[in-house]
Amino acid sequence: MAVAEQQENPLLEGLRLRRTPDPCALVIFGASGDLTKRKLFPALYSLALRHLLPERFGIIGVARTEESDDDFREAMKAAVQEFGRDAFQQETWDWLAERTRYVATDFADEGGQQRLVGALNELDEKQGTSGNRVYYLAVPPSAIATLIHEIGEHRSTDGWTRLIVEKPFGRDLASAQELNAELQQSFEEREVFRIDHYLGKETVQNLLALRFANGIFEPIWNRQFVDHVQITVAESIGIEGRAAFYEQAGAIRDIFQNHLLQLVALTAMEPPIDFTAESVRNEKVKVLRAMHTPGPKHVVRGQYGQGFIEGEEVPGYRDEPGVARDSMTETFVAAKLFVDNWRWADTPFYVRAGKRLARRETTIAIEFKRAPHPPFEESAEGELQPNVLVVHIQPDEGVSLEFAAKVPGQGLTLRTVHMDFLYGGAFRTGIPEAYERLILDCLLGDTTLFTRSDEVEEQWSLVDAIVAFWKRDRPAFPNYEAGTWGPAAADELMRRDGRSWRRH
Amino acid sequence: MAAALGSIAEIERELGAQRVDPESGQPMQRTSVMTHLAWVPEQWVEAAEDVLSGLAERHPSRTIVLVPDPDAEDALEASVEVDCYPVGEHRKVSMETIRLKLCGKRVQAPASVVEPLLLPDLPVFLRWRGLPPFGEQPFEQLVDTVDRLIVDSTEWPGLPAPYGRLADIFDRVAVSDIAWARTSRWRAQLASLWPGIAGVRRIKVLGTEAQAHLLAGWLRSRLGRKIELEHEAADRLTGVELDGEPTPFPPGDPPDPADLLSDELERFTRDRVYEDAVSATRM
Repeated sequence: MAVAEQQENPLLEGLRLRRTPDPCALVIFGASGDLTKRKLFPALYSLALRHLLPERFGIIGVARTEESDDDFREAMKAAVQEFGRDAFQQETWDWLAERTRYVATDFADEGGQQRLVGALNELDEKQGTSGNRVYYLAVPPSAIATLIHEIGEHRSTDGWTRLIVEKPFGRDLASAQELNAELQQSFEEREVFRIDHYLGKETVQNLLALRFANGIFEPIWNRQFVDHVQITVAESIGIEGRAAFYEQAGAIRDIFQNHLLQLVALTAMEPPIDFTAESVRNEKVKVLRAMHTPGPKHVVRGQYGQGFIEGEEVPGYRDEPGVARDSMTETFVAAKLFVDNWRWADTPFYVRAGKRLARRETTIAIEFKRAPHPPFEESAEGELQPNVLVVHIQPDEGVSLEFAAKVPGQGLTLRTVHMDFLYGGAFRTGIPEAYERLILDCLLGDTTLFTRSDEVEEQWSLVDAIVAFWKRDRPAFPNYEAGTWGPAAADELMRRDGRSWRRH
Repeated sequence: MAAALGSIAEIERELGAQRVDPESGQPMQRTSVMTHLAWVPEQWVEAAEDVLSGLAERHPSRTIVLVPDPDAEDALEASVEVDCYPVGEHRKVSMETIRLKLCGKRVQAPASVVEPLLLPDLPVFLRWRGLPPFGEQPFEQLVDTVDRLIVDSTEWPGLPAPYGRLADIFDRVAVSDIAWARTSRWRAQLASLWPGIAGVRRIKVLGTEAQAHLLAGWLRSRLGRKIELEHEAADRLTGVELDGEPTPFPPGDPPDPADLLSDELERFTRDRVYEDAVSATRM
């Protein structure tokens, strides 16, 4: 037996075993908030349904609201039933509910932390969570610094500790650096999981597969063949009652600083040597460091006015509840960016993000240079379009390629056609929600799909430069109608360069 | 009911016609990740259709169901079906099923019927219901046409002898066995008993004959020595004893037949551990 103990287990060969997280307790700060209801508990339920959570597991919801464990469980059960992607199964819910507690506390209070520590110790005893902790900070930005400090002061000495920090991480470079400094006092970088849920989306990860697992794309993925790149993150919804947050953040902090810049980084990055957290994040940081916008003329901001979405009249931003009547918060931002490196020098990346646009759509479009000399005398139906490779992030996840084809019949008339790959068409298994993937990765200690401190600081550097431009003028808001594709200046941004936004 | 199609050209024409969306008049998008052949003798038709219906949505493919009828008059009788599934918010994709009855002498030349219907550049899987007629034309032809053969040795009489014939084709085609897939939970459970399991001398399996032989073959091949097998018949794997000691029941629920086949359709390489286990079933 002594010999066998020293050997590798030969019975494991060929078994497709899933990695299971260590026993642990998950503490959600902001447990009464929308994110917990709409995303976190439905994600935890889906993970439980698939037996992806450890058997020895516990959840503690923390918020200021006074309520009992049972009240909290009932509220979360309703949330899972309303927002979950899986059919509700009582047995799975019972498993999760049995492991769920609620602590009403305010960390500003003396003894607030002690109530939580007591509940965690109880979980360790009853559920065997072994002192391992994940703290999910689903709280407003103003509360984050205090929580980081308090958690750091009282961190468990028995097991490991991990921190998930929701976006936005700071509101400018200086505040992000302060938060990072606070974190670094009590935590190592590998213990910090700055979440950007876009990175948990299957199709965002598929962008890496598309680029680096296919030999045909990388040779032409550069300034020699690509005319420009367009990235759109469009929402048709408004601010959904989040005026307090949105008035402070605006589109640039809500979407541009994180989701949009992540998409630029993934599109422009060099191939990592492997898919480990450090390799992928090193390459993304290089892109962010090399990025600049050429000046105020190349950044457009907008704010929606009254308009129509799907035939229904919707109010303008300034008429939303909680928004100042003279608010200068932007709900739209478009910019021309450059990545100053050998691959992309002089190739513009046009990006735009906004609320109350004509439809919900996130796409990355790589527009290639036109054929240098098409040898066809008869013209195309309209002007022949350049080849465009479009990565559809949402909705209708997939990839499509636009190219020219001959119209059947006499002569040689050309028309642009689409070749589509639909992600959900080829892979019929349910696509996991981004939060499922990211929570599980955190429980497993994998930081690949989370934002590193230097990455977030580079993002803020660019945002700070843009916000500095904005201090010099005061645009006439609102400057676009709800249900359109943003202000006219955004079209002008492209038109000046002899280009236009893709037709939708 | 429409008349049976009698040639490849008629099948292709009908597929083209059915691919047009009746609402828009435009061709529906076809999505395929493989060609899936199923050799289904008449007695397996019902069971095969059940599994296929659970599979279609998960593995968009062109499915070709081959039903041999050697006693009928020489003919090819085919029907096609294009099913449409919603994808995302605005789109639908179509998938195709071709049912081919090979009558009379056509049974002897299935490859010539199937070849023109394979989707180019995509892997071809063959699900063979029942015991394959090793060495005979239909089977040998199709084995050389496909990338992966999927069998369920639970359906085979006279075990373990047929495993010897199966091992002979391992160098020609990758093989999956649903019976083997059904043991995976138990293999993981037994692996968790390492190193205590290293010295085991006897295994008793309460399950199908195939599962008993494959589990014993697996332990012999992995541990590299002779292990006695005792088998108690049951229609599914319900227990394993090692040297007279029952092993704990593995966690989770057993997968259903469509899930098992679905998992095998995601594998593209040879399963060397399975091949070693098959080779060791007769030790």
